[in-house]
Amino acid sequence: MTAAPIGYGRQSNRLASGGLIDRSKTLHFTFDGKTYAGHPGDTLASALLANGVVLTARSFKYHRPRGILAAGSEEPNALVELRDGARREPNTKATVAELFDGLTATSQNRWPSLAFDLLSINSLFSPVFVAGFYYKTFMWPAALWEKLYEPLIRRAAGLGRASDDADPDTYEKATAFADVLVIGGGPAGLAAAQAAARTSARVILVDENAALGGRAVDDASEIAGNPAHEWVKMLEGELSRNPEVRILRRTTVFGSYDGGTYGALERVSDHLPHPAPGAPRQRLWRLVAKKVVLATGATERPIVFGGNDRPGVMLAGAVRTYVNRYGVVPGQRVVVFTNNDYGATTASDLVRAGADVVALVDSRPEISDHVYRITNETGVRLISNAAVTDALGKRHVTGADIRLGDGERIELACDLIAVSGGWNPNIQLTTHLGGKPVWNDRLHAFLPGAVPAGMSLAGAVAGDLTLAKSLAGGNAAGSAAADESGHKAIAVPVPTAIAESDAVTPLWRVIGYKGKAFVDQQNDVTEKDIALAEREGFRAVEHLKRYTTLGMATDQGRTANVNALAIMAELTGRTIPETGITVARPPYSPVALGALAGHHRGKSFKPTRLPPSYRWAKEQGCVFVETGLWLRPSYFPRPGERDWLETVTREVNTVRNAVGICDVSTLGKVDVQGAGAAAFLDNIYMNGLKTLTVGKCRYGGMLREDGILMDDGTVARLGENHFFITTTTANAVKVVQHMEYCAQWLWPELDVQIVSATEQWAQYAVAGPKSRALLQKIVDPAFDISDSGFPYLGVGEITVCGGIKARLFRLSFSGERAYEIGVPARYGDALIRRLMEAGEEFGACSYGTEALGVMRIEKGHISGPELNGTTTPQDVGLGGMVAKKKDFIGSVLGKRPGLVDPDRPSLVGFRPVDRSARLRSGAHFLARDARPEAANDEGYMTSVAYSPSSGHWVGLGLLRRGPERLGEIVRAYDPVRGADTLVEVVSPVFVDPEGGRVRG
Amino acid sequence: MRIACPHCGERSLDEFLYSGDATVKRPDFAGTTAMDDFVTYTFERTNPPGPHRELWYHAAGCHAWLVVTRNVSTHAVASVELARDVALAAKSATKDSAS
Amino acid sequence: MADHILTPSSAFMDWHPPATPKLAASARETLTMASFAAARGKEQALREAISAAYGAVLPKSAGRVEAGGIAFVWAGPDQWLAITEHEGARDLEAELKEKLTGIASVVDQSDSRVVVRISGSRARSVLAKGVPIDLHPRAFAPGSVAITHASHVGIILWQVDDAPTYEAAMFRSYADSFAHWLFEAAAEYVSAQP
Repeated sequence: MTAAPIGYGRQSNRLASGGLIDRSKTLHFTFDGKTYAGHPGDTLASALLANGVVLTARSFKYHRPRGILAAGSEEPNALVELRDGARREPNTKATVAELFDGLTATSQNRWPSLAFDLLSINSLFSPVFVAGFYYKTFMWPAALWEKLYEPLIRRAAGLGRASDDADPDTYEKATAFADVLVIGGGPAGLAAAQAAARTSARVILVDENAALGGRAVDDASEIAGNPAHEWVKMLEGELSRNPEVRILRRTTVFGSYDGGTYGALERVSDHLPHPAPGAPRQRLWRLVAKKVVLATGATERPIVFGGNDRPGVMLAGAVRTYVNRYGVVPGQRVVVFTNNDYGATTASDLVRAGADVVALVDSRPEISDHVYRITNETGVRLISNAAVTDALGKRHVTGADIRLGDGERIELACDLIAVSGGWNPNIQLTTHLGGKPVWNDRLHAFLPGAVPAGMSLAGAVAGDLTLAKSLAGGNAAGSAAADESGHKAIAVPVPTAIAESDAVTPLWRVIGYKGKAFVDQQNDVTEKDIALAEREGFRAVEHLKRYTTLGMATDQGRTANVNALAIMAELTGRTIPETGITVARPPYSPVALGALAGHHRGKSFKPTRLPPSYRWAKEQGCVFVETGLWLRPSYFPRPGERDWLETVTREVNTVRNAVGICDVSTLGKVDVQGAGAAAFLDNIYMNGLKTLTVGKCRYGGMLREDGILMDDGTVARLGENHFFITTTTANAVKVVQHMEYCAQWLWPELDVQIVSATEQWAQYAVAGPKSRALLQKIVDPAFDISDSGFPYLGVGEITVCGGIKARLFRLSFSGERAYEIGVPARYGDALIRRLMEAGEEFGACSYGTEALGVMRIEKGHISGPELNGTTTPQDVGLGGMVAKKKDFIGSVLGKRPGLVDPDRPSLVGFRPVDRSARLRSGAHFLARDARPEAANDEGYMTSVAYSPSSGHWVGLGLLRRGPERLGEIVRAYDPVRGADTLVEVVSPVFVDPEGGRVRG
Repeated sequence: MRIACPHCGERSLDEFLYSGDATVKRPDFAGTTAMDDFVTYTFERTNPPGPHRELWYHAAGCHAWLVVTRNVSTHAVASVELARDVALAAKSATKDSAS
Repeated sequence: MADHILTPSSAFMDWHPPATPKLAASARETLTMASFAAARGKEQALREAISAAYGAVLPKSAGRVEAGGIAFVWAGPDQWLAITEHEGARDLEAELKEKLTGIASVVDQSDSRVVVRISGSRARSVLAKGVPIDLHPRAFAPGSVAITHASHVGIILWQVDDAPTYEAAMFRSYADSFAHWLFEAAAEYVSAQP
């Protein structure tokens, strides 16, 4: 690439040629209200730098002017608010945001403007705002905390503003499988993907950027004698044409998980003004791979010196990325400051781009031939055994203060200081599962220790920093991975590359600087903060991190952690391994909650289950209630009805005086067959079932092994070896799980087959004095449903409506004469319509869960609130049902003294002394004169309802020795809702206590 | 974590429900120490690091109950067996030893 | 008196399935289905009975075979689902009960599940957005069956042919939730419809 004149048009720092951008198209964007030009292929950062915009942000605590340090996701400073309106996103790294036409960005954390930020007054208080200041301040006077300190701190906290509007975009989740997953699309990753893809292996290649090539393109290297980006293009072509290869660009693998599973975030539409029709904004991938080649490269680390956070101090590798990938030179007069050989190649790259490289300041006293060759060829002034002590300038670098080997100080004018402190392999994905990294004394960096099963390493992440070694290592790793996943390796030639040098001599911080020297720029942690932490005893690296907040910002300290560790090591006279290690946890970079939710937002958070009568009920204007995943009809308001109470009262009265129909399809239904079915059910129900005759059903209760009631329902015997049981809606899944546990694990020798049949049948309760008359109109004449032909608790397989298969049960939850009719679910809609039509002459109504609940409370039937995980059968008046001789789940522990203690709260009814008073469930019972204290608590109200049959509110509850205290007056105490009501203890059966109605 | 269900193959952890210790055997309800035995069986567990034999239920799959030998420190799954097979083998072993 | 034949209704409230070369879906709601499970010790007898009656070899693990117009789909440990069209009022429960007396328990499942057919050049990509199964031809082929879920809706999934065409059976009450997920998952391939 020949030197090109710098600056054309208004993009003063844009090179006339070079880079992967498309100069034929111009994009316009605004930053802080000013409009600039850029090109497709730019990031916001490269476009800003092209336009000579260097000041991008104000730092978190001190509001110092900040610019752009890096060129990738490790950027700590250039955080902007991207877009506006509903898509506004704070804390977006300008180095990652791809430019599109019309992009708007705003700087953050400054007022009134970036250039003149009044809050930079914080800098004056910097001696107060050192690390951990909030542990020592804002304590006195204590009264001011809530009124003054906290509101102030809250307003000062955070960087950007999130939008308050709903996110207009959709997100997706997807799973992909591979034989070989290659993480990283730089030279090592591309070589690995190529080698693996040449076999028959299924390969997924993932790269964070839009364009592949990694450091090879960033450094404008040569591969096989040609510019690297040409080799990349050729490889991309080969991989794209292979149907077994999937390339995920703009995708970050953010976490390693067990079982060869990796989480990745694909930024599908972040680079567009808005997503294409039907496309998601982002997609969350779960990648499952047999083998993984980790080729994530390395991140450059800075050197810590005074003013090293000034706009215009940048990582050397980032400067080269801007030159070679984006065709931008971020400064006209450059000082390169380095402790390793990469500094020299940076200088030569900049000279090639036409920049004036004022000096190469190399901290090392002994310089390699490799470096001398470059400085001789380029004519760059080499100052060895020297260090930049301070960057001069405030809102922009204006010069560098340099201390020479003999102690003399010189000042060089410049507008860009390119810093290279060495490289940190991006090992984070190897530590997510607990693998501890290992310090390498040649590279002075952490390398992976134990890696997740199935993972191998290639390129810089493995410590192979040079291009030649990366290509060779990637090739070998890719072949090996394919081979180990069952696809025989095929020899693929490794392309040549010029030799490079990775020699480095550590220099973590410069001594004798004047200004502030930053280690973690995003959280404003200085070198002196580390010394403070050490003085205060926070010397372990985990304490250092939490005390100073170093490494805890959105860049996860990628340009800070190792430097901090090294400085702490120097301060405490230990080696770096002795001082500690840095271990990362997922996610590697921020992941939007929307992406983690995917499809599961709003109403789609969970699936919604619709019962068979749903369409009909909606037509009636029914009000629904969520019961687990189901939408159940709650009540059916009619025009003119004032409120739900009026509707529900009408429904109850209609059922008790005429007939009502309720959809009870949601209750669990389980088909149990086999020669051992009766014995099996006897083992799991607390009451005896062996005596249940064919054609009859019975109420049944199931306990947990600890003796507590788990669920209740009905058991119907359809045949000698054929049972049909029901459960509550809420416990349907749990009961099936429990039954399968018992059948597979506890009693596998029993011949029993269990099948869920909940959805096979649409089931309606038909209840009320006229219920039989109504059913007579739909049950086919062949079947006798008279009281003698079909007595209470009978069950039969019949047909209805001219031959439709059906099951009829004579059961009652409401306390009235009642039946349940089940038909195959496809006829559920038609049946409710037919029933309502047939019921017209009787004044039939449909009723929902509210009326259902009122009636069962009036009858003292227990339901969910009484089956609350703490009650025994004895507690709720079912003690008589518990079999005494057989073994069943819960039989032994149910007899524990604490569970049979007569002092336990037991089920009784309550009515308010003042009949007009409302009752509330959850109220606790106290003796009339007892103080409201836990010691005097005698139980609680479990269910309440307005009882139309009684004309007042009634309740069920658990009261100590309740059945012995009928007639007593107690207090129902509910301070949460401000209620304190006198109630009379009564029988829990408020309607038809003799129970005659169910039998007709 | 992925568990290899013998029927369905390797599946993600979120398809399964963990249900506890597979090494405890439901005691004889009629034994003289039945109450103590059931208390131990239901409530008392040691919890050492390292391999556990656990009961898992393939809830979002084939509904098979499984005995999974898993290292609770590393999540490494050493074996997965059908609970029914393990239970039947145990029952015939006790039958053999009883006869 | 009782002479009204009830008409069946769809499990879907208001579904307009996509019908494009990239992704097409349709509901199969005119099926008769029955699940059957071997009685203890009768596993071999069951295989023989099915083989004799239909010429089908029951898959021992997750798999699907078709014979005599009936698809036999593995539905769990020692459990299968028999599926066929019910033209002419065919009733698989009754049929199988008769043929498998004393050998297996049979339960009508004609209504408990709705079957959705999914096909098209992008069918795999769309399914991958909710189904955590490897659907690559090397891992899943015609005859393969998986009991899994599509974005938390439980399904029994099988492949019918190489087009590829899949069928997913799910509990009836989830039909609309499944359709809604499918609509979103297919959106990038199918022009947006209400």
